[in-house]
Amino acid sequence: MKKNNLLWGLALVLIAAAGLLSYRILGQGEGTVAVVSVNGEQWERIDLSKVRRAYDLDITTEYGHNIVHVEPGAISVTEADCPDQVCVHQGRLTGSGIPIICMPHRLVIEIEGGELDA
Amino acid sequence: MPKTRRLALMALLTAIALTIFVVEAQIPAPAPIPGVKLGLANIITLITMRLLGKREAGAVLLVRVLMGAMFVGSPSTLLFSAAGGALAYLLMCLLAERFGPDRLWIVSALAGIAHNAGQLLACALVVKTPGVFAYAPVLAASGVITGVFTGLAAQYLLKALKKVKF
Repeated sequence: MKKNNLLWGLALVLIAAAGLLSYRILGQGEGTVAVVSVNGEQWERIDLSKVRRAYDLDITTEYGHNIVHVEPGAISVTEADCPDQVCVHQGRLTGSGIPIICMPHRLVIEIEGGELDA
Repeated sequence: MPKTRRLALMALLTAIALTIFVVEAQIPAPAPIPGVKLGLANIITLITMRLLGKREAGAVLLVRVLMGAMFVGSPSTLLFSAAGGALAYLLMCLLAERFGPDRLWIVSALAGIAHNAGQLLACALVVKTPGVFAYAPVLAASGVITGVFTGLAAQYLLKALKKVKF
């Protein structure tokens, strides 16, 4: 029983450690083409390497309102009218791997990976 | 336990779970990762299952999820938390007998993973973007960490509640 608990504890620690590590590694992908979509439909497709001056995208849908900030080489959500503000706190997206998601507004911002692009 | 007393206890537990749910929604998420939350209301689901049984725990969970979405959140958050809650509940029902009262932390950790998996699955279906699965590993980690915490909280609470005569 005691040993069993130790094994469970070890397995759970491993899952937690692997999960946290993967988040760091996955977030370092290459790519410059950002795709903004709402409810699965593409809203904008921007090549961030070709952006010269920063600008804002106003995304207002039936699900909610977000301001997406596009700048040379990076994209971020700067405003959201949802209570949790998770997408705003996610900060700037500069490479592929981990998308920005605003779940209540069904908004996803992805950067397409270089050669892995499907 | 008489039927009326049982019903009153369920109502009380639902009210406590809802309060925890609403209060938790007011404090910032522990990490800026979509889907990560403390899940403190699950403490109540766990102890309801131990004190009253599986069906009662399911009822308390269902009412809490529905009313919780009415108080805080939107129709889409209801969908995500319902999917997560359902999967976590199923897993807890499966594991309830296999793990004793001093091993609730294991059940809760696995339920945490199940909750986040259900939530992510619902999210992926809604936004139709497979890229969101990049969050799967970190959400599993978050489910384990918060699950162990809520499981331990439920364990200590149950220990203290043993002295109470319902």
